Amino acid sequence: MRLVARRCRVALAAAAFLAIVAPAHAAPPSPQARFRQAGELARSGDYPKAIALYEELAASGYESASLYWNWAQAATARGAQGEALWALLRAREIDPSDRAVQREIERLREGANLDRAEISPEPLAAVARTARRFRLDLVAVLLLLVSVGAHAALKWQRSATRLASVAWVTLVLGLLAAVVPVAGSIGRPTGTVVRRGAPLLDAASPTAETSGTLREGEVVPILEVSGNYVRVEDSSGARGWALASDVRSLVTAPRRAS
Amino acid sequence: MAALAGFAGRAAADDVVRSEVDARKVGLHDQVQLTITVEGSHLPNQAPMPALTNLQVVGGPAVSTQMSFVNGHMSQSRSWTYALEPQAVGRAEVGPVTVKLGSTETSAPAIPIEVVAGSVKPQPAPQRSNDIFDEDPFSRLGRQRQAEPRLFVEAKPSRTRLYVGEPLLLTYYLYTQTGVSGLQLAQAPQFQGFWAEDLNSPERPTGEAITVDGVTYRRFPVMMKLLFPTRAGRLTIPAATLSIGIPRQSFFDVGGVVQRSTKPVTVEVRPIPEEPGFSGAVGHFRADASVDRPNLSLGDAATLRFKVEGSGNLKWVDRAPEVNVQGAKVYPPQVKSDLRASSAGISGSRTWEFVIVPQTSGTIEIPSLAFSYFDPSKERVVRSETPPVPLRVAGGAPGAAAPVPMTATAPALRGGPLPLRADLELGSRSFPFSGKAVAVAAGLALVLHGLLWGSGRLGQLRLGGPRGAAAPRSTRSALRDLERIGRDGMSKEKAAGLIEKTIHGVFGSLDGQEDERARAVRDLLDEVHSVRYAPQLGDYSEKLRELAAHAVEVVRRWA
Repeated sequence: MRLVARRCRVALAAAAFLAIVAPAHAAPPSPQARFRQAGELARSGDYPKAIALYEELAASGYESASLYWNWAQAATARGAQGEALWALLRAREIDPSDRAVQREIERLREGANLDRAEISPEPLAAVARTARRFRLDLVAVLLLLVSVGAHAALKWQRSATRLASVAWVTLVLGLLAAVVPVAGSIGRPTGTVVRRGAPLLDAASPTAETSGTLREGEVVPILEVSGNYVRVEDSSGARGWALASDVRSLVTAPRRAS
Repeated sequence: MAALAGFAGRAAADDVVRSEVDARKVGLHDQVQLTITVEGSHLPNQAPMPALTNLQVVGGPAVSTQMSFVNGHMSQSRSWTYALEPQAVGRAEVGPVTVKLGSTETSAPAIPIEVVAGSVKPQPAPQRSNDIFDEDPFSRLGRQRQAEPRLFVEAKPSRTRLYVGEPLLLTYYLYTQTGVSGLQLAQAPQFQGFWAEDLNSPERPTGEAITVDGVTYRRFPVMMKLLFPTRAGRLTIPAATLSIGIPRQSFFDVGGVVQRSTKPVTVEVRPIPEEPGFSGAVGHFRADASVDRPNLSLGDAATLRFKVEGSGNLKWVDRAPEVNVQGAKVYPPQVKSDLRASSAGISGSRTWEFVIVPQTSGTIEIPSLAFSYFDPSKERVVRSETPPVPLRVAGGAPGAAAPVPMTATAPALRGGPLPLRADLELGSRSFPFSGKAVAVAAGLALVLHGLLWGSGRLGQLRLGGPRGAAAPRSTRSALRDLERIGRDGMSKEKAAGLIEKTIHGVFGSLDGQEDERARAVRDLLDEVHSVRYAPQLGDYSEKLRELAAHAVEVVRRWA
């Protein structure tokens, strides 16, 4: 009897301990919960906090077209057209088949008086998107695997001569499919100007002279990166340095703010 | 010259002394021509040099003599011409001239001259005289001394006081007294604080005569910019430098390029009063709203066109008006612009097209839409409103909702709640292979194929066909070999060996195969072996020909 009572006391103490400690060690909210929280913030009009939350999610690797879509809506409501256009272009990079994103990009582009060429300066980027959209990378790898497999099977099953045809056809198709993603990967990285009147500098230095200004929303090829500066070329052909915070990369996820 | 004569002195009826200068007001960088003329019956060989104050002689004298006979009476005159240069800004003077003519002395009084900074003297027009004595040699001298042609550039604003967003026409003029062979910007002008629009300059600008500080030039507009201030305050347009090509003026001249800079231009930009709903447009505008289909069926869509027309900085206005229609879905607009830039500003129209899908039947009213702009002439924000536009929707019971195919990802109403997506959709995220990985995979596949090929299997097999066998080239080669048998007088061992080798080359190993093809090949090989290892008891040439024909038949049928 005494033993039972003692065990009950221990169990109660353990339960009380867990009740106190468990909330402190609760699992952090899931990315989905944080995404919804950011949406609530945006709906309530707190766009800066919503954008900060979206940025944190993206920097943590939870990138998706929906994340950037919502980010673009919050940025538009905040009046940051360049940032909104960047977010949509990034969404298109992640999911090139999202038609709503395409339409919204067109709407923002026209609103910002930008030509189509000014948001697509790198033709190979479109090739890369096509490869991603139709998963040509995966198709190519699978075809090449089938080709090698058929050839190997032929080695052991000499009478199954149809495998030779399979091997040849899949090899040719696989190589053709592989050309598209490989060509797309050769293109220069690009970035979007997210600040109105972003200066174009003659050097990557805080004391550099301003040699011009970049158009908000314009997509520019990134030629070089040096510290907090990127060397870019605008649509008029002028080359210079810009702050990396003014020109956001379209090919890499945003970095976690330090 | 006579018009600028300083004074004429007369001592006797026929004896005259004149002292003349070509300008009473000259610049420090100009030259003055002093001409001393003596008329009479006795002309001296030399004229005394008058006293000069703040002037120095830089050329001359050039002497010219004229004689004329009128009614049998001869008159003559002699002139001494000097080139003088001022030494400092201020007063200068050519002293009195006294000439002894025979027994009398004749004088001309002093001539005062005002010297100012720079150069103010007009370039003398080229003389086209037939009289060689009439030509003034120092006019040429003066021109040759002038190293750089007389020209300058000016940036002229259409106004110096304006509001933010109001257009300012900035014209760059070239003032010149000489021909120009080329013109380009040596230093592009910077327009900090302005939004600049280029205007097309005339390809062949027509000049106009204009006088600046008493000097006549021809003025050409060379560049025009339409500037819109983006902020209030005193804004300065810095100097622009132009490189101007000068063609050769004479045989000894080589021409050249000179640079001229404009002076900075300062304008005063007044702010626009803050007012809620102000669109940012500055100018004169008129708003209009219309629908393409005022009557439609439930489920159909109408297009609302909101058009703003006028002149001003309409290019700045990109935000669509908020359109909320009770009982209808409004989709984000498409923007169409028809704008033209001219020296008067930007004029034209911008149209926002909204797709409206009614959700109920009956009459739906698109409310009045407003466009607020700042009118500089009235100096206040003006609101242009469109009348409400009715939409009559037929079909279904009044008030019945229409099925609207709107996906969760479609943009929702502008001005309403944000069209946010509810799901992060990480599952749909793709992890594509990088281009490098695909290239490596392709390379690896080729290498593996090469290794397998090296084992000699794939290359021996023909593309397609139910039996799959050697490539056509191998078959042709085998048939050629078989046709040689019986012709070249080879021994039966050699002929049988060639047949066996050819058959093995075409069909390979047939181990484990029991079909008709394998049997036919095996029978052929048995026959070949029996001939090959049979004792040499007679002539086998006929047998070998039969064997070769059989082998050809087997190859043609089964290979």
